[in-house]
Amino acid sequence: MRAEVSLVNDEVKRTVDLSTHLAKISTEVLLSNQGGSAAHSFVVALEADLAPHLAYIGVSVNDEEEKDRPLELKEVRVKGQSGVFFEVQLPSPLAGGSKLQLQVETVLSHVLRPFPLHINQAERQLVVFQANHYLYSPYPTTTQTTRVRLASKNVESYTKLGNPTKSDENIEYGPFYDVPPYSQDAMKIHYENNSPFLTISSITRTIEVSHWGNIAVEETIDLRHTGAFLKGPFSRYDYQRQSDSGISSVKSFKTILPASAQDVYYRDEIGNISTSHLLVLEDSVEVEVRPRFPLFGGWKTHYIIGYNLPSYEYLYTLGDQYALKMRLVDHVYDDQVIDHLTVKIILPEGARNIHLDTPYPIDRMPDQLHYTYLDTFGRPVLVASKKNLVEQHIQDVVIHYTFNKILMLQEPLLVVGAFYIMFFTVIIYVRLDFSITKDPAAEVRMKVASITEQVLTLVNKRLGLYRHLDEAVNRYKQSRDTGALNSARKAMEAEHRSLTTDVGALQGRLKAEGSDLAEKVGEVQKLDGQVKELVCRSCQEAERLVAGKVKKEAYIESEKTLAGKRLELVTRIDSLLDAL
Amino acid sequence: MFTGLILKERRYRFNYRSTHYLTTNGFYEFLNWFDERAWYPLGRIVGGTVYPGLMVTAGLIHYVLNLLHVTVHIRDVCVFLAPIFSGLTAISTFLLTRELWNQGAGLLAACFIAIVPGYISRSVAGSFDNEGIAIFALQFTYYLWVKSVKTGSVCWTIGCCLSYFYMVSAWGGYVFIINLIPLHVFVLLLMQRFSRRVYIAYSTFYIVGLVLSMQIPFVGFQPIRTSEHMAAAGVFALLQAYAFLQYLKDRLTRQEFQTLFFLGVSLAAGAVFLTVIYLTYTGYIAPWSGRFYSLWDTGYAKIHIPIIASVSEHQPTTWVSFFFDLHILVCTFPAGLWFCIKNINDERVFVALYAISAVYFAGVMVRLMLTLTPVVCMLSAIAFSSVFEHYLGDDQKRESPPAEDSSDEDDKRSSGNLYDKAGKVRKHVSEQEKAEEGLGPNIKSIVTMLMLMLLMMFAVHCTWVTSNAYSSPSVVLASYNNDGTRNILDDFREAYYWLRQNTDERARVMSWWDYGYQIAGMANRTTLVDNNTWNNSHIALVGKAMSSNESAAYEIMQSLDVDYVLIIFGGVIGYSGDDINKFLWMVRIAEGEHPKDIRETDYFTPQGEFRVDKAGSPTLLNCLMYKMSYYRFGEMQLDFRTPPGFDRTRNAEIGNKDIRFEHLEEAFTSEHWLVRIYKVKKPENRQPLGHKPRITNIVPKQKYTSKKVAKRKRGYVRNKLVLKKGRRAVRKAL
Repeated sequence: MRAEVSLVNDEVKRTVDLSTHLAKISTEVLLSNQGGSAAHSFVVALEADLAPHLAYIGVSVNDEEEKDRPLELKEVRVKGQSGVFFEVQLPSPLAGGSKLQLQVETVLSHVLRPFPLHINQAERQLVVFQANHYLYSPYPTTTQTTRVRLASKNVESYTKLGNPTKSDENIEYGPFYDVPPYSQDAMKIHYENNSPFLTISSITRTIEVSHWGNIAVEETIDLRHTGAFLKGPFSRYDYQRQSDSGISSVKSFKTILPASAQDVYYRDEIGNISTSHLLVLEDSVEVEVRPRFPLFGGWKTHYIIGYNLPSYEYLYTLGDQYALKMRLVDHVYDDQVIDHLTVKIILPEGARNIHLDTPYPIDRMPDQLHYTYLDTFGRPVLVASKKNLVEQHIQDVVIHYTFNKILMLQEPLLVVGAFYIMFFTVIIYVRLDFSITKDPAAEVRMKVASITEQVLTLVNKRLGLYRHLDEAVNRYKQSRDTGALNSARKAMEAEHRSLTTDVGALQGRLKAEGSDLAEKVGEVQKLDGQVKELVCRSCQEAERLVAGKVKKEAYIESEKTLAGKRLELVTRIDSLLDAL
Repeated sequence: MFTGLILKERRYRFNYRSTHYLTTNGFYEFLNWFDERAWYPLGRIVGGTVYPGLMVTAGLIHYVLNLLHVTVHIRDVCVFLAPIFSGLTAISTFLLTRELWNQGAGLLAACFIAIVPGYISRSVAGSFDNEGIAIFALQFTYYLWVKSVKTGSVCWTIGCCLSYFYMVSAWGGYVFIINLIPLHVFVLLLMQRFSRRVYIAYSTFYIVGLVLSMQIPFVGFQPIRTSEHMAAAGVFALLQAYAFLQYLKDRLTRQEFQTLFFLGVSLAAGAVFLTVIYLTYTGYIAPWSGRFYSLWDTGYAKIHIPIIASVSEHQPTTWVSFFFDLHILVCTFPAGLWFCIKNINDERVFVALYAISAVYFAGVMVRLMLTLTPVVCMLSAIAFSSVFEHYLGDDQKRESPPAEDSSDEDDKRSSGNLYDKAGKVRKHVSEQEKAEEGLGPNIKSIVTMLMLMLLMMFAVHCTWVTSNAYSSPSVVLASYNNDGTRNILDDFREAYYWLRQNTDERARVMSWWDYGYQIAGMANRTTLVDNNTWNNSHIALVGKAMSSNESAAYEIMQSLDVDYVLIIFGGVIGYSGDDINKFLWMVRIAEGEHPKDIRETDYFTPQGEFRVDKAGSPTLLNCLMYKMSYYRFGEMQLDFRTPPGFDRTRNAEIGNKDIRFEHLEEAFTSEHWLVRIYKVKKPENRQPLGHKPRITNIVPKQKYTSKKVAKRKRGYVRNKLVLKKGRRAVRKAL
């Protein structure tokens, strides 16, 4: 593919932002077609030296009517020239003689090389930036200016092509006129840059989707300070007492999470990292991530940050069709550089026909299976990876899949089934006798125990009858109503008889079982007979008192003896019952 | 959900690490595990020197859960193992107390053990220790033992043996069981309570238990080779002899038997005793180990094994800690013991012996408080339960106390009755008719109220202790500001994590042994010494390095390949458990092995004080530990009332403020200076000489040659005739 020679870069304004650890080059190009035929595409180029560091390149039209419209890029090769080239399709063919304002954004990572490579704690960090004075382009350039923004005023040295002007933190090169295509001239700037040179050497982002309303996100991050290495001792004293000691070190940074993030955790292999703060804002959740120790040049750390998101914000459904729209990579810190990204998306068990829509090409790896609570055949896991990412890569990815809603019931049914089986086993175990030997003695004991239980209730009931009669007698003493007393007595007699026969029957059964308790019950029966006699006698005494046949004092006297006897008998019955 | 879980103590780290190894590499790999990360350069055979019960239990739970796809991390299993096992302990305590007394006492005992501070320390989540599961195994073994003595059934005894096997696999304290059970049998013999049941139970237990316990690699042949286990063997022999004589008794007349009996018993006892002594002297049986001597003589360790004495857990228990750990139970348990002795039977003999021996051992060592706690809970529960029974229960019942016959038949029946009647307490008719007699209702209610008050205060105390003393992990320190907000000092983990991330993976870290497991677990680096203090001389070498001056220490560190030195320094925040406060132990242990180089007296002032200020001894002020602790501390002014370099822990201004290192450099210091890590410089990094080196091999331009040398003679005669006898013919090449 050959570049169309009829194109010319009419006016080029380049801004190289070196204030962070990234080189952000934004180039405004006024592209003009001086040939006869209309141009459908043009080529953007990057020098061979910088090509391996290219993290992001984007081209947009910067016209009045069409502002910031991104154009599609396709990598192409140009014969005989070094570097990488991208062919950009123009939104509308550029007719001969017409012009178009374009903007090219390039972000380069790891191009600022610390020099000296090793510094001690008190020293400041100096870096070298090496690039091209001119715009590297397959087309001739008419006029060109370059403005370099630095991180500080302190500049050790810079190349002086075309006598650049330096003011504060800016160096302005140019204007250069009529630069031929593919022209290169080494630009070198050596300056002080204490901005945090943090690099995420690897990040694994796991997104676990649950159809029960939750999306769990976990990021495992390896972080490294890629600035100048710390040489010699690290003195905590200097670090605490002198404000400019370890100026290039990183104490903390901010991670911005989605506004609906909940249950944020921040930890590593040895537990929770207690030095972080969480700030819930209106439109985001800010985590102040403070590694356990300040990061100096060459030091690294490793941590895990995770949170939950409600699925209604990210999961869309139409019947059995589902679509998950989430950030492929999210914000970790401002001006982030990610050397290696691995994304794992765990879909619910039973998701099928999975289709991935990514905003930029990424490497898909074979799908895996993941087992977690109550899984039977595993959840599909999509794995993808990409190298060298920057902030511009924070874009949405869409995953389409189908999922049968019936499968939602699988897990609850599993639990229900497990409990059912458990209870059923217990029921069977309790109801059935699994002993290999029969123990007739134990059976008899159990039978006897149940009979004694019945005897006890009956005897108690019988003793209760006497109390009822006592009450009736007392009432009778006041009301002198013989009829009531007689009826009460009759009722008592009848009930007593039935109870006594019941107890007798039980006693017979006990005897049949061959238990010695039968004798005790017999004794109770005998004693009870005596008690009943006493009760009857006290009843008669009362009648006589009411009839006036005995004097009150005599009555009280006899009543007392009767009560004493009764108490004695009842106590004996009780002790016998206790012994049962 | 489980993100805040951490294991609390240092030694739990090792258990966790081994469990992790077990789950990742399998059981056989674990048994063969040679840990080259510990005890550099010696290494440590872990598989054969640990009690694997804890790790295997945790690993098994983890395995089963993962088999069911309950994907919990092994860490979570480890963290929650202790609470699970304390639940099981409560159940087995209930069972044991029910066997001893009744169900009510059992319930009380279970409640006590659930909250008593002496056991809470091992049962809180995050405690992952052998003792946690061992107390369960102990209680359960005792329960099964009591059960088998009661029933005389081989089935229960086999259960007891299996439980004993689990105990052996879990904790070295199994020796307590293997001595207490023979003691019980022996005392039963003395009390003429020998029965077929005891015979069956003990014979089975001894043989099966012995064989099972020898299956644990760490125990190996110890049960037949060491003195600690000989009591069991002796009682076994005695029991056989006794049983044989009992058999003879049926065959002989009374008179014959009596003479034979006394002869036989005394002969058997003497023979056993003499055999043990003979075998000990000939070396078949190892004599008592030092740790056991220290159980008899509390001063022994201080003189002979400073390393044991240096652990705070091995100090004799103070009364305060008895009260702190047991509170009201310590007062009530003698009452329970009295109740037991008053209504003695076979199993109550056991609990009495258990109580008496545990009290003795708890008095010797703080650590053994743990074995006392369960029996105190049981006996106190018996005391409380009896009191409540007396003051709350029915008068009728009081007259006939619960059946206590040890025979099988009655036991079953009474327990059966208990079950039957539990729900329906029968109202006594006579009670309503009879006036209260004996105890008035006032006394009853007052006593009950008092008892309940005591129990309430006990509960309050337990809650307080748990929340204050045992809930905060020692790896994270917390302080409270005036306004009640909490400051977390996470310095340990900060430094350990720094080591983990920013040092070479094979780096060797020297520190005092207290931090060995932590460094291995959290920093994942090789350590020289750790909490498994098996090699005293290695520890002494580290102690010597810490207590020598820098150049002497450098030599030691070079010979041990040390890359980093880690120390704990609490002077900035006032943390008292730091290395300077432990320093005297290092000196003492070093002195034990290197008495020529290190002398404890050198580190004291002439007045015999240990001081870090100007009056301190110069040896102390220049030793490595001092220098590392106070490096650049002299410049630091903590607040305006104190001079710079004021140590908050020891409340003194340090004596040596000008500290420079030649062979070390500060590598990392944590935020509150709690952990300081120094890097040992490699030899080529030595400082260049201040002057030009003297060159000794200069070749002079004019070569001076002595005349003597020239002639290679001692002397020569002037004008001595030199004979020349022609020249050697030069051969011509052909």
